Amino acid sequence: MRTVIVGAGQAGRRTAEALRGLDPEREILLLGAEEEPPYDRPPLSKEILLGEARPKGLMQREMNAYAAERIDLRLGVRVVAIDPSGRCATTADGTRIEYDQLVLATGAQARRLKLPGADDPRVMVLRNLDDARVLHAMLRPGLRLAVAGAGLIGLEVAAAAAQLGCAVTVLEMGPRAMVRSMPALIAERVAGWHRAAGMVLHFGCALTAITPQNTGLLLATGQGEIEADLLLVAIGAVADDALARQAGIAVADGILVDAHGRTGTPNIFAAGEVASIRQPDGRHVRFESWQVAQQQPLAVANAICGIDKPYAELPWHWTDQHGHNVQVFGAHEPGFDWIERDDGAGRFAALGLDAEGRVRGAVLIDNGRDATPVRRIIAGGQRIDRERLSDVSVGLRLLC
Amino acid sequence: MVWHDVAPAEDFEPDVPKVIEVGEERIAVYHLDDGFYAISDICTHQYAILSDGFCEHGKVECPLHQACFDIRTGRALDEPAEIALATYPTRIEGGVVQVSLG
Ligand SMILES: Cc1cc2nc3c(=O)[nH]c(=O)nc-3n(C[C@H](O)[C@H](O)[C@H](O)COP(=O)(O)OP(=O)(O)OC[C@H]3O[C@@H](n4cnc5c(N)ncnc54)[C@H](O)[C@@H]3O)c2cc1C
Ligand code: FES
Repeated sequence: MRTVIVGAGQAGRRTAEALRGLDPEREILLLGAEEEPPYDRPPLSKEILLGEARPKGLMQREMNAYAAERIDLRLGVRVVAIDPSGRCATTADGTRIEYDQLVLATGAQARRLKLPGADDPRVMVLRNLDDARVLHAMLRPGLRLAVAGAGLIGLEVAAAAAQLGCAVTVLEMGPRAMVRSMPALIAERVAGWHRAAGMVLHFGCALTAITPQNTGLLLATGQGEIEADLLLVAIGAVADDALARQAGIAVADGILVDAHGRTGTPNIFAAGEVASIRQPDGRHVRFESWQVAQQQPLAVANAICGIDKPYAELPWHWTDQHGHNVQVFGAHEPGFDWIERDDGAGRFAALGLDAEGRVRGAVLIDNGRDATPVRRIIAGGQRIDRERLSDVSVGLRLLC
Repeated sequence: MVWHDVAPAEDFEPDVPKVIEVGEERIAVYHLDDGFYAISDICTHQYAILSDGFCEHGKVECPLHQACFDIRTGRALDEPAEIALATYPTRIEGGVVQVSLG
């Protein structure tokens, strides 16, 4: 029995390791286009930019750990086509690899700007370790950095660059920061930290043209012209689902899978950020988070081994900016009624109630101690008295 | 063996550690049902202070990425942490909990 995993990122590694844990016999191939062994991406926009060459937590395994687990890790190998009826994958050098099960764990790519001038080397994106190393080498005091996109990655880079003494301007097309990832009240707090660090944030500000010049980049925006030495484009990620699409597997910004990671095509699965996972209400959602790349592969490995353990974790992601840690749990919808809890000692929680008064989402700032309590409160689904939820003297652990 | 005072035994509350710093080490001491246990207070994944995390049933959870550790053995119970925490012996002398770095 041979399982071939395409993509040696976090989700590929987790799938391989979980499979090995469930089945000591099977042949496991882990094929990765990058030259680096699997790594976790969160440090790329944080520790690496600040100068830690090999932060703790970047690589979860030494190279020899793969051999020890009999995971056949092949780096610098890109799969260029898959053939579901012939059950084989073809690599860039023409090698055909047969499989019994195929797992697509190809992740995503940074979305690029489609503007003239965007191919100038001073226009960058951040997705891979190489990108992070190059960016780190360029950040220096006084550098004029423009960031297009006030999402998580854009703001993390902006915060790190400001800390290194760069002059940072953030251009965001939308009305506020982190529209996709955070409720408005939290985005406002975070924007406040950035402004306090001397950064300039422009909202409702689309980048319309890039003119490369000798002295820098001239950026035309809806709100005037800006000169920058470097432009980081952080306008989201696009699922790397081309292999599936070409093979006729259903995709819609991500490979459509059920809660076990199964695609509509027999013996083909998708894991991690490339997967758009069917929710209990029937919608498909693609998550750009460490948690999904960490935990959803376990459901995939189980399904491959015939074990029924669907992925059903509460969504969770975090960001670290200006020395603060922000964690987001569950949902955040525009109509939610947010209750804020500030303990006066720097720990903050916000709980989002839906129209029926149930806690459906939560955000914690510098307050990881309440992570398990808020998870339990959200999962519990019961109505909790608003007064009690607002009372900071009652610890959240007493309410779950 | 050199012993360092942590706090009077009666001052400990369940699931709330007391932290002391000895040289470079930051150590958290927990009162569990069967005694006092001392572990390193720094997560082995990246950098986080574990005594800021959630503690229950003899386990402490990292406040950053929620790796779980067994307070009695220091063992990392799930990813992202892999490496165990250092553990230290404790004793009670004249009602005061003490810890030794060995
Ligand atoms: C800069 C950055 C910071 C982040 N910070 C956070 C954070 O703080 N908190 C959080 O929750 N999440 C964060 N995330 C999100 C999280 O890291 C990602 O969602 C996660 O890495 C997804 O893992 P994955 O294995 O699915 O995909 P990836 O890590 O992208 O791995 C996919 C791999 O597949 C390879 N591949 C693609 N196509 C092929 C092919 N045809 N053949 C062979 N190999 C192929 C790619 O080269 C890549 O190495 C961050 C992401 C980035 C980019
Ligand atoms: S720092 Fe503790 S789990 Fe990451």
